[in-house]
Amino acid sequence: MKSNHSSVIEFLFPFLTVAALWELTVRLHLVGMEMLPPPSLLISKLWTLTVRGVLLHHLGSSLYRLTIGYVLAVGLGIAVGALLASRRTLREMFAPVLSMLISVPTIAWVPVLLITMGLGDRTVVTAIFLGGFFAITYNTMRGIEMVNPGQLNAARIMGVGGWRLFVEVLLPASLVSIITGLRLGIGYSWRALVGGEMLSALVEWGIGKMVYQARFWNDVLVMLIGLLIIGFSGFLLDRVLLKWLEQETVEKWGMLAKR
Amino acid sequence: MSKAIIEIQDVHKIFDQGAAQVEALGGVSLDIREEEFTVLIGPSGCGKSTLLYLMAGFEQPTAGRILLDGVEIAGPGPDRGFVFQDYALFPWKTVLGNVMFGLVHNGWSKQEAREVAREYINLVHLSGFENAYPHTLSGGMKQRVGIARALAYNPKVLLMDEPFGALDAQTRKHMQRELVDIWDKTHKTVVFVTHSVIEAVFLADRIVVMTARPGTVKGIVNVDLSRPRDYTGEDYLTVRKQVLDLLEEEVEKEIRLQEKAI
Repeated sequence: MKSNHSSVIEFLFPFLTVAALWELTVRLHLVGMEMLPPPSLLISKLWTLTVRGVLLHHLGSSLYRLTIGYVLAVGLGIAVGALLASRRTLREMFAPVLSMLISVPTIAWVPVLLITMGLGDRTVVTAIFLGGFFAITYNTMRGIEMVNPGQLNAARIMGVGGWRLFVEVLLPASLVSIITGLRLGIGYSWRALVGGEMLSALVEWGIGKMVYQARFWNDVLVMLIGLLIIGFSGFLLDRVLLKWLEQETVEKWGMLAKR
Repeated sequence: MSKAIIEIQDVHKIFDQGAAQVEALGGVSLDIREEEFTVLIGPSGCGKSTLLYLMAGFEQPTAGRILLDGVEIAGPGPDRGFVFQDYALFPWKTVLGNVMFGLVHNGWSKQEAREVAREYINLVHLSGFENAYPHTLSGGMKQRVGIARALAYNPKVLLMDEPFGALDAQTRKHMQRELVDIWDKTHKTVVFVTHSVIEAVFLADRIVVMTARPGTVKGIVNVDLSRPRDYTGEDYLTVRKQVLDLLEEEVEKEIRLQEKAI
């Protein structure tokens, strides 16, 4: 077991290295300061935006939309995935459709949604939902299909079937695959959110909107801060939230293949 | 002689494997008697595990029928317990959770289930491991959990599908002795599938020798020796030879069958 102290350093080291190289590049006048503002300026601007509450308002709006869209994607994705896994004819019919839809980048849906869903929040939330839904559906279906038949038989001979079999056995037994779907899904949802906010004219607040609006003021600094926040939030959602879920479940239960 | 609890009546089983059809069982009739330890043995591919799966209700016979207490078996149910070769434990549940599973789903309260589960965990000598997850246990310990889980909710019959097949030789012998101990305490009706003659003669009241595919009953050997049995005792070796003689012909047949297939 590594000490917390050294793992924090290990974690920060690559970020600090990149920041230092970046700062150096600008300070040595290899790149113009208007084109690529150095990290030092970024940090002071980040401070102002935070203190004024602007950043929090943007981030809060985005996380609110993400929560609605992603929670819908998780609920419906697992339900539809389970349904497809349990009905062979349905699965054979719809599996190709699903594969096709997965390969459509979610941002490509947005122009369609702008027409059908309007220019506001509904479009963004639907894009977030679509981003997560297909990945979660597909991985849930695959996970349930691959459950060890012995575990199923064990439950059945102990008199467990139907809904209880699903909740007590199928779901936990396929959790490795479902969590893979959740992790892929939150990445796709997050990207869809940023793109959706940029393209939806009536959306005023949101981290994607912040970057897009900065274009009108030629404010590269705000754009870069937006990008960093987008990257860092996506990273936190996956590595902190879902990685934690994975550690507390399938990893603790020894269901992940040892590397 | 005790009464028949399972009656297997002219059971056939044919598997569709794409275009080809494989006849696994070709008319098996057999009674499993109450409180007896019955071992099914035969060459690989003779359908002994298939027969066990039919008794469990995981599969349905193509023809013929199987009665449990006079009622035809329509599917799996908690009047039977099953022990799997690959354990088939629930990795997301602790040892206690695994053993409680059949109890909480069959009318025991949480409190009662916990107490009964602890008794059976004690019976298989796993006390102290109640809160361990299966992946932290050795193969022998996993199968003890498998046995406790199958016995805890008090099924009428315990079905065991080569339960010690994945264990090393030392652990296997040890588990055989423990199973005899457990059986002495519970006198459960057991149907046990194996391809080891040594194991069969050590455990069984009755050994059912099956023919090569399609499987039928070749002969039945009654083992009238007191337990625990001595692997090197003269009477043990006599019974062993009896079983081996019945089996040998069938093993050769099966090998010729496989050679033809190649």
